[in-house]
Amino acid sequence: MNYRRALIAVVTFLGGIYFFLEFVLPAEVAGVRLDYYHEQITLGFITVGSMAVGLGLINLLILHGSRIVFMRRGALNSVALLLGLALMMVVTIAEWRRSAVDGARIKQFFMLRDFAAKIHADFELSRTSPAEAAARAPNLPPPQVRVAKLTQSLSEALTELDLHLQQGQSDGAFTEAYKRKLAAAEADIKRGRKKCQDILSELTGSDLETGWSESLLKLGEPLTLVGMRYGDWLNIQYEHSLTKRSYRLLYEGLFVPLGAAMFSLLAFYMATAAYRAFRVRSAESALMMTAAVVVMLGQIPFGVWIWNELPEFRLWLLTVPNSAAFRGIALGSGVAGLVIAFRMWLSIESDSFMGDR
Amino acid sequence: MKGVDHATLGMLILLLCLLGPVLFFIRRAKTGALLPVRRISGIDAIDEAVGRCAEMGRPLSYTTALTGVGPVLYACLGILYHISRRVARYKSRLFLPQSAPDVMAISEEVMRDAYRAEGALSAFEPQNIRFLSDEQFAFAAGYIGLVQREKVAAAFLFGRFTAESLILAEAGQQVGAMQIAGSVSPEQVPFFICTCDYTLIGEELYAASAYLTREPVQLGSLYGQDRSKLVLFLLVVVGVTIATFNAVFPESAIMNVDEALLKAFW
Repeated sequence: MNYRRALIAVVTFLGGIYFFLEFVLPAEVAGVRLDYYHEQITLGFITVGSMAVGLGLINLLILHGSRIVFMRRGALNSVALLLGLALMMVVTIAEWRRSAVDGARIKQFFMLRDFAAKIHADFELSRTSPAEAAARAPNLPPPQVRVAKLTQSLSEALTELDLHLQQGQSDGAFTEAYKRKLAAAEADIKRGRKKCQDILSELTGSDLETGWSESLLKLGEPLTLVGMRYGDWLNIQYEHSLTKRSYRLLYEGLFVPLGAAMFSLLAFYMATAAYRAFRVRSAESALMMTAAVVVMLGQIPFGVWIWNELPEFRLWLLTVPNSAAFRGIALGSGVAGLVIAFRMWLSIESDSFMGDR
Repeated sequence: MKGVDHATLGMLILLLCLLGPVLFFIRRAKTGALLPVRRISGIDAIDEAVGRCAEMGRPLSYTTALTGVGPVLYACLGILYHISRRVARYKSRLFLPQSAPDVMAISEEVMRDAYRAEGALSAFEPQNIRFLSDEQFAFAAGYIGLVQREKVAAAFLFGRFTAESLILAEAGQQVGAMQIAGSVSPEQVPFFICTCDYTLIGEELYAASAYLTREPVQLGSLYGQDRSKLVLFLLVVVGVTIATFNAVFPESAIMNVDEALLKAFW
């Protein structure tokens, strides 16, 4: 028995039936939120699919690497391609890493703010309704422990912030306008930081008997200020960093214009293709040329000058005969696609693809 | 999730109407029934193009452009299998410029199978399957370069295309390649008609594999889908008649067929 064939058929069938059910079932079945699981499964599919990117990379390396090693025709082009690939990869990874690191730096302040608010809310609930609080979170550590953890984390975050602000000041590649923006952001951060430090002193100095819960609430505003302005400050730094400038040069300065240049070739190709197609050699090409001329003239004021009903006629051509043809093609393709998908799903296959080898 | 809107009895009946004939004709074809297919000049020209390349001693190219894994690719792979077998038989070279790594892996397997079927596995050169880029215009640039450098004598463009279609087809035109294209994207069909020698329109692309291989499963499937289209055609006629009737006689309008079926059976 061909186990490979059977395995492929079973996996294909299961995959197909999953997506079929996902399409027809409601979001929640018997209290189970299927859409949540669907999101997870879709992410899994994306992850598996992304592994295929490596295949493309290997293909490029083998093809162009061998050309360079054996000094075949076009070896220099291959060198340029592989260098470009390596450069783009390095810059993109650096750019992605920087974004991730900066994001985590900002996020910690918002997380600390939320943590403080949560401790406050839990404490208030335990005072007003102890039974409900115990039922909601039975294994919650005592507030003293949570506050100690908060003050320790906040203290570390502020120390790290100080260090980072000092390091950032040494970079001098900014225009005056950006320097002013940086200084303003830094001033706000320091203001927020000072407030945080004051509240931190209150919290560490207090015996956690009186007023500490309100101090926790007061942390919200300065932590939000620090988080937001720190984000602005990092963003300005990031926009002027070597990583971002290199990325911009390669992507916006080279890749995008090269793509636009390729796209612009279409204008010339359309002209040559139209020239070839519109040479009247048969009844079909004559009909095609007539329709094209009508559509083109109907689009411009000159067409209206010739015959004021021409735009209407153009619209009729596009919406009636043209749409009918389009729909006919779409219907035929749709049914054929459905049938092939059905054959794939049930692995009803010919020997071309699934034959015993 | 879309809710139970699609899981209606009407939809089930429609699916059975569409897929029932397919299963029936596949079974019939497997029992040896003769199922003739009308001539499609574009598909007939595929063998001619491969033979031309062998005579000229120049390579071929076959691309599915930006087509992802799905039914369209599946239809294209059937054609690729046939072309690859011919190429292996005539000892020509076939280039496969690729834009998606997963499609590349599948195409490589199909091509390898075709060479194996011709007993020419040693002649199979995986380096002719070239990943260019998954970016639309970077791929188009790479394709132009490949076609120009290798001076291909025939170019096959099958699959789902967007704005790059004319760029790809013009590249082949410039080197004097015989070009056969097939697309399920109606917007791109005029470009191919203007630039290529033969163009398969819409469903002809799906029929190509059955036409070339004459295998029972594919032939039966082709026959079945044609009957399914008849069902759809009838439904269109019925729908138009009901819509016209409802417009003319709004006071005695016929209710939604789907609703009627649901009321009757659910």
